[in-house]
Amino acid sequence: MHELSVALNLLEGVQETALRDGIERILAVHVRVGALSGIAPDALKFSWELATAGTVAADSALRIEDVPLVVFCERCAAERAPRAASGLVCPSCGSACPTIVRGRELQLVAMEVPE
Amino acid sequence: MKYRVVQIEQSILRKNAALADALRARFAATHTLVVNLLSSPGSGKTTLLQETLARTCDRYRVGVLVGDQATDNDARRLSQYGAPVRQITTAAECRLDADMIGKALEDWGAGPFDVLFIENVGNLICPAEYDLGEDVRVVVFSVTEGEDKPLKYPLAFNTSHVVAMTKMDIAQAVGFDRDAAYASIRQVNPGVTVVELSARTGAGMDDWIALIERHIAAKAPPREASLR
Repeated sequence: MHELSVALNLLEGVQETALRDGIERILAVHVRVGALSGIAPDALKFSWELATAGTVAADSALRIEDVPLVVFCERCAAERAPRAASGLVCPSCGSACPTIVRGRELQLVAMEVPE
Repeated sequence: MKYRVVQIEQSILRKNAALADALRARFAATHTLVVNLLSSPGSGKTTLLQETLARTCDRYRVGVLVGDQATDNDARRLSQYGAPVRQITTAAECRLDADMIGKALEDWGAGPFDVLFIENVGNLICPAEYDLGEDVRVVVFSVTEGEDKPLKYPLAFNTSHVVAMTKMDIAQAVGFDRDAAYASIRQVNPGVTVVELSARTGAGMDDWIALIERHIAAKAPPREASLR
């Protein structure tokens, strides 16, 4: 629901790097989006198109890597991927696992620029 | 087209994180406890805050920031207790962020406070992502909402320190399954403090106020803390 503001925050990060490195055009931007981040990838792509119009990142592709939820199960002493909509529960032993290892990411990873 | 890759690796929300850290430093300097209240629309945040103000304003310097997408109805409801209240109208935004809090504080001119309550926009998804520099995050969970709400919105419940279980006076009438609700909460946050209350009847309000007062005392300057 806050994809547009996330797209604007993302654009800000991209613009800072472009300015620093003297980059005039951006072909693609890579991001990592966690399953718990509350971000819908399609809505983010749509917002990206709107946010970047007329900027250094205009017409750039947004490449989203989805990061599934992974928690740390203390009973199993291992990382586990909970089943969808089961909360933060270990799929092997059923215990609650409040430690989120992955799945909260909203990360600007890299961008592709012309040689 | 031939291209090269520029590695960046930074959080998209890093600006919010930096602003939240600046707010935390500012509130540490004034010994202000900051409580961020999250919930779905209609869970009773404003009523809980009204009853909280009625029980704290005489003893503490209390401030309230209240976020809504539209209207200042909540601010008007809250402003009858003597504490300064400021509305933040977020328009299109579905949550408060650290920048909005900083700007509201700048032109508000109120404070310093012993405790600042921030009533977030009614929404359990987006506000969970945004650090506001708070000490205590409270998720307000009413008995009318469905016992599995924590499983549907795990991040909001996982990142909260306290669950305020509201509208307990009508729990029976709406067939609230208390055990199932606790089981859901424990599945996403086993150690979280749960306070059952009814702001309308006052039941459980003493426990809630005692909890807030413990946090205020913990944040107070050392000398004052020893006097209390």
